[in-house]
Amino acid sequence: MTTQDVTLQINGRAHRLAVRLDTTLLTVLREGLALTGAKRGCNQGVCGACTVLLDGRPVRGCLTLAHDAEDRAITTIEGLGAEPNPVQAALAEAGAVQCGFCTPGMVMAATAFLRDHPAPSLEAVREGLSGNLCRCSGYRKVVEAVHRAGGGAP
Amino acid sequence: MTLLHKPATAAEAVRLLAADPDARPLAGGATLVAMMNADLARPSALVALRHVASLATISRAADGTSRIGAMRRHRETVHESDLRGAQRIVALAAARIANPTVRNMGTIGGSIAFADPAADYPAALVAADAVVEIVGPQGTRELTAEAFFVDWYATALRPGEIVAAVRLPPGPLGAVARYDKLVRVTGDFAIASVAVVAVVRDGAFAALRLAVGGCGPRPVRVAEAEALLVGARPGSPRIAEAAAALGAACDPVDDVRASAAYRRRVVPRMVAHALGTLLAPEARAA
Repeated sequence: MTTQDVTLQINGRAHRLAVRLDTTLLTVLREGLALTGAKRGCNQGVCGACTVLLDGRPVRGCLTLAHDAEDRAITTIEGLGAEPNPVQAALAEAGAVQCGFCTPGMVMAATAFLRDHPAPSLEAVREGLSGNLCRCSGYRKVVEAVHRAGGGAP
Repeated sequence: MTLLHKPATAAEAVRLLAADPDARPLAGGATLVAMMNADLARPSALVALRHVASLATISRAADGTSRIGAMRRHRETVHESDLRGAQRIVALAAARIANPTVRNMGTIGGSIAFADPAADYPAALVAADAVVEIVGPQGTRELTAEAFFVDWYATALRPGEIVAAVRLPPGPLGAVARYDKLVRVTGDFAIASVAVVAVVRDGAFAALRLAVGGCGPRPVRVAEAEALLVGARPGSPRIAEAAAALGAACDPVDDVRASAAYRRRVVPRMVAHALGTLLAPEARAA
């Protein structure tokens, strides 16, 4: 299949790449730009390990075609900054990481969730993160950490 | 060679699709890209509908009819304050689709064009008495939601046609909506779903439309059962009778979520529960 040039705005920087029509944003990030924070779990939009922000909202990197992301602001976990943000700090503090494969997607979903839902209830956190699977099944500490990062009592 | 087209008008999108039978329209990507990743779809080109402004708007007419553009994301439909009364059924269904991340991506037009019978919109649109606006090479046409969904993953769309919008009539005055969905886990497709739009007056149903999803090739609606329910009060034997009629009209299959036999047993209970809840005094107060 032929390629076509596309310009992607990733973490505030423009990247020009030759990309096939069927190449997803996730593939470009991981294989084209070595931004391997977003993970390829199911590649079907089910697991959430590939979650990135598109114009500030969480989306599936594996269900977003690179060409369709051309005029949009893409934020990956690498773009959150060198210092841990409140979600990352709370996850570390709570020991909410087991194998860690789902963590970058969780962080992206939770960061956007807390921006839009200040001081959420535990139930709201569970709903907010319901698109992110953890196959270690270590949900409890993740939910508690995000709840705490949002200002909820420990 | 252009791989991804970005037309600015629906007419241009349709022209591009008509010119290449192997091109596909791209809405939110939640289904099409998953199919491309699984090598189940290999479009020659894609026509991105995201840049067509007329597909992305919602509007409310003077008579109360709401028109939801095909590219409205599920997230937007969940929070749409223009959907009132009977129309709330569509917002309630949207709130049960997948999870917040997927609701940021998926669109109402893309969802109904794919027509998974276990998805949330089909039964809700039939209960809402919705009309699907279609644009294609021969111009525009419209179909009721009941006529739009024709079979498993099959709609009345012809080659080159796309969904332009979904139109929801205001519905009867004082109508309330209820959407129940039985799932293995939050965010999954439905084992079965029940969408009801009803007017309750003096403790009895004055008007009602009800559709069952996930239990056959298309949403199940039984007009005789609805007629039977008009005038029914809490505890009326007609509720069980109507619920049984809905169950009997279902044509479910065995799949990974549940057996057909289980669905036949559970649908009458779900229908009776939804009807009973709508008739309960708390529901009327709310």
